[in-house]
This record gives sequence, C-alpha cells and structure tokens, in this order.
Amino acid sequence: MYLFGNLIYISCLIINAVAILSEDRFLARISASPTSYDPAFGSNADASVRAKIVNLIASVRTLMRIPLIVINTLIIVYELVLG
Amino acid sequence: MQRPTYGQSPPLHHPVPQHVSTVPQLRSPPPLRSQSQLHGYDGASYHQQHQQQQQQGSAPGNIFGQYGNMMNDPGAQLASQFGQTAFKHGQEYLEQNVSRFVNVSALKHYFNVTNFYVINKLFLVLFPWRHKPWSRKQAVGPNGQESWYLPPRDDINSPDMYIPVMSVVTYIFLQTVIAGLDGKFQPELFGYIATTALFVVIVEILGLKLGTYLLSISNQSQLLDLVAYSGYKFVGVIVTISISEIANVGKGTGGWVGWTVFIYTFLANSLFLMRSLKYVLLPENNNDSRVPMQTMQTGETRAKRNQRTQFLFFYSYIVQLLFMWILSRP
Repeated sequence: MYLFGNLIYISCLIINAVAILSEDRFLARISASPTSYDPAFGSNADASVRAKIVNLIASVRTLMRIPLIVINTLIIVYELVLG
Repeated sequence: MQRPTYGQSPPLHHPVPQHVSTVPQLRSPPPLRSQSQLHGYDGASYHQQHQQQQQQGSAPGNIFGQYGNMMNDPGAQLASQFGQTAFKHGQEYLEQNVSRFVNVSALKHYFNVTNFYVINKLFLVLFPWRHKPWSRKQAVGPNGQESWYLPPRDDINSPDMYIPVMSVVTYIFLQTVIAGLDGKFQPELFGYIATTALFVVIVEILGLKLGTYLLSISNQSQLLDLVAYSGYKFVGVIVTISISEIANVGKGTGGWVGWTVFIYTFLANSLFLMRSLKYVLLPENNNDSRVPMQTMQTGETRAKRNQRTQFLFFYSYIVQLLFMWILSRP
C-alpha cells in the first residue's frame, strides 16, 4: 500500500543521513567513529552494544556510499518523471 | 453395495510418472467403458511403449485401434521422443538452478507435518498457557556428535512452514472477501495485501537480525525458523478479523468484541513467541554450570542476559503488537 512505498523513502533517507555524517566533526565528537578508540573494540564479536553500533555505522558508510548514489538517482528520476 | 472389503488394502497403483509418457494423450478415454478399463488406460499411458501395446492388445474394441494407428506413425513417434527429452532437460535445468537459490531439502523439513501436528499447533498458538515443555527435541546422530532437530511430524514444538504459508494465503483471501462484502473490492487489492503481509514479515525479520547482531546473540537456528515464527501471528490476525467481522456487521476491529479478541490473540501469540524464542535468542543455561569462569570472558554477564531478555520481551510484545495491529486494519 502507501505504507510500503513510504517505507522505501524513509529507509533511503535514513541511510543517506548515516552516510553523510562528517567523520571528524561529528562522529569523533560523539566518539562514534572507529578512529576514536572505543575501548571494547578488540574482538569483532562479543563486544559491547556501543562497539557494535560504531562498527555498524562505519560499515554502512563504507559499503553504501556507491549504491546510495545509484538509488538516489533512481528515486530522483522517478520523482521527476512520474511526479 | 460395491464397497471393497476393509482390512488390508491392496497397494495403491497410482500411475507414478517415472519418466514422461511416450504417448501424448490426444484423446480422452471413451466414456462408456467400465472403471477397470479406464484404470488400465491410465496406467498404460505411463508405461513403456511395448507394454502399452500389450495392453492395447488385451483391451477389446476398435477405439484403441485408432490410437494404435497413430503411434505407428514414425513422425508422431519422433515428436513424442523429442518432447520426452525436452521435458527431461527442462526438469534437470530447473532442478539445478532452483536448488541454488532455494534450499529445497531444508524446505521439505518444514513441510513434514501431520494433521495431528497442525491441529495441536493451532491450538497451541491460540492457547499457549497450559503447554509445559517448550524445548525442541533433538535426534542424535550415529556417532553422537551431530544432532539435528526433529521434524514437525515428531515434535510439537518444532516450527513448520505449513501453518504460516496457509495462514498468509487465508489472510489475503479473507481481507479481500471482507472488502468485497463492503463493496470495496478491486483486483489490485490482492497485490496490496500480499505486499503488506510480505513487508511486515521482512521488516520483522530485519529488526530481529539487527537485534541479534547488536546483542551478539549467536543464532544457531536457520532463517526459515524465524520466518516461521513470524508467520504464526497471522493465525491470530485471521481469528481476530473473522470474529470481529461477524460480531460487528461492518468491518472494524473497533468495538468491544473486536478489541477483546485482538488483545487475547495478541497475548497468546506473544507468549507463544516468548516461550519458543527463548531457546533461540537466549543462551543455554546448561553451559554456565560446566565452565563458570570462562563465560565471563565471552561476555555472558548478567547485564547481557538482562539485555537479551529485555530484547526478547520487546520483540515478543511490542513489535508483535505493532504488526498485528497493522495487519488487522481493513
């Protein structure tokens, strides 16, 4: 329904937001970047919840940069052509 | 009465297609023949050609004679051989490619159900408060090392895919029937409802996967188990929708009856999920007694266990409430 299309937009916008965040100005201040050494960041598994979230944000940023360009272009074209 | 005597029944002679029939069935069987000859005709079509000719020889009448003239034509024989090999190739292609995407043998395990299991499982989803042992039974392999879960046929606690698949289809049909009774039916409604149901399941599984990743729950059960557990809520949703549709004349999960049934099925489903997923999401307690000190290093502190329990509670109650409410809307 209307819910499903809206959900695609919402998820795309949220992932855009995660990808855009500035690494040194914002994430390091919040200490949510892997460079500002989160102490329990030794093992990749069985780390704390916070370390997992840091890892997740970093991996989303590195992985989704390029597919996001494609997806955003598609959505822009769709919105322009089909209103 | 022409009933056969009860007792030992003869082995059933279904025509089992070992390979494609060499005979394309271009004619329907003659309508005035007796039952046995019809069975003989059906069984003959799946046998070898020479056997079929033997049966033709044994069957009386000119009607099969016309059929035999067609098979003596070499062009028809070539065509039937070609069709047979083409079909075989198609089957092999399908088997190779589908088995790459869909794990067919794993799926078969989930559909290995009996009537007894289905009825008891439905009762369990709708009334889980009396059920005692919730753990799944395991069968030990011959060398004692490997152990796999028993199929749903032998274990009432094992999740199956039959009930979720059936209940999703029933849910789609029920929603469209109710929309039709309101005069609001349109053929796109099937697609809308199907995508809503699919999206609910997908979002729920994604949330569950995210939760297991964040809390570092090592998930030993397969993805299909979680899909099956997620599909059980459709049973409660169907009950809610049908009862509230009968009670209120129009649609509404509004009104006392609708909300009462909704709350009841929601609580039943949530308890069912909590008890079943306890073995999936929370770590086993028997590990702690053997190695009490080393589990602290792997992070199995009480805080983590509390976190996981909270997550399980959140998932079973609040997430299910949201999704059941979404599914119960008209």
